[in-house]
Formats: sequence, C-alpha cells, structure tokens
Amino acid sequence: MADVPQNSGYMVAAYIVTAVILIAYAVSLYRRTPKP
Amino acid sequence: MNLVRKGRVITLLGLGLLAGVYVRALAFTPVERLQGPAQKIYYLHVPAAIWTEMAIVLVGLAGIFYLFLQDPRLDRFAEASAEVGTVFATIVLTTGPLWGKPIWGTWWTWDARLTSTLLLFFLYVGYLLLRSAITDPALRGRYAAVLGICGMCLVPFIHLSVYLFRTLHPQPIILKPGPPSLPASMLITWLCSVGAFTVLYVGLVTQRYGLSLQREAQGGIGG
Repeated sequence: MADVPQNSGYMVAAYIVTAVILIAYAVSLYRRTPKP
Repeated sequence: MNLVRKGRVITLLGLGLLAGVYVRALAFTPVERLQGPAQKIYYLHVPAAIWTEMAIVLVGLAGIFYLFLQDPRLDRFAEASAEVGTVFATIVLTTGPLWGKPIWGTWWTWDARLTSTLLLFFLYVGYLLLRSAITDPALRGRYAAVLGICGMCLVPFIHLSVYLFRTLHPQPIILKPGPPSLPASMLITWLCSVGAFTVLYVGLVTQRYGLSLQREAQGGIGG
C-alpha cells in the first residue's frame, strides 16, 4: 500500500460538496413551497 | 398526497440511498492503486454527469413535443428538469476539478469535454434566466423549448468529444462498446450511485413540477 497516492482530502471534499449542493437544493425547494 | 409531498418523499428516499452509496464507496469499495482514494470521486461525478445530460435531453424532447402540442404540462416538466439538471451540472463541475487536481496536476484544462460541459452549464443557466425574463406563458414556453432543443443537440458532442479530440479526460470505461473495465465491487458501487441519482432526479423534478403547479394555482407566473 506504500505506493498508493495519499489524496483522500480531495475525495472527502468532493463527497462533502456533493452532499451540500443536493441538500441545499432540497431545502430551497422546501422553502419556496407556498404555505397554505 | 399532492405532487410536492410525493416529491419530498422520493427525494428523502434518494438522499437515503445516496448516504448508503457513501458508506459503500468509502468503507467497502477497494482503493484504486494508481489513483488512490481520489478515484472514488468517480462514483459521484459520473452518475451526476449522466443525469446532467439526461436532464437536458428530456428538456429538449419536452420542448419538441411542446412546440407541436402546446401542452403546458410539457413546459412545466422542461422547467423542472432544467433546474435539477443545473444542480447536477454544478456537482459535475465541482467534483471534476477535485479529481483533476491530484490526478492531472491541474484543476482545469480547456479541452473539448470540459469546455463543452461548461457550455452546457451556461446553457442551463441561460435557459432559467430566459424563463424568468418572459412573463407571457405561451411566448416563454416557445422560446424555452427552442433553447432546450439546442441544449439537447449538445449532448452527443459532449459524449463523443473524448473520441473526436485529443483530451486529458479519460475515455469511458463503462458506457462504451464492450464490457465495463471496472472490477465487480467498483461496478456495483457505481450502479448503486446511478440508482440513487436516478431516484433523486425523479424526486427533485416531481417537487419542482408540483411547486410550479401550486404557484400557477395562486396566480403567479410559474417558476
């Protein structure tokens, strides 16, 4: 395993960014829904 | 249950499935030896890219049918699909550079695949701006349909760009002629992620469609 590149920071960043974008859009749809 | 509520349930299901994909990808899928952990970005980047392209194809098809049938449901669907496609395109354009930096040594390069994907993102944004700028629903539907059809025509170019031009972007390893070049454990994770993004697309579009319906019922201009 010694020669495997150590770049997990980029992977973690990508997974966090994806979750943030999807959750932010889902929340924006919830907030834009007219309340009865 | 109205459409917005149905969409919310499907979206929550999609987010739950994606959480499962995160666990499987990060804890139970092997690390690729040459690229290291950054290769696992693939499990998010490619499914998001597939649905970015599928969304604009569906916008274009809805646009073609709208021009013939003038059915407002088609226009409403196209609007919802374009907005969700913009969100997925944002994921593609952020996860791509996060993979490119450790593997290529650069965040961005102006090659055909990356540039055409950025163009598709701008086309999505332009589509949404165009819709928000026109208040007459019939005119808005017609103009948006034409722009959506133009966007759809970009998709074959994006997909074939890695074959047509010299590029840093990898060739397809699954969506290509012949069997996939991934081991089974990685392929299963990727397929689960495609499934999760599919459920998310359906849920988010259903919500957005229902939102337009509610706004129209309250006398707004949609969107």
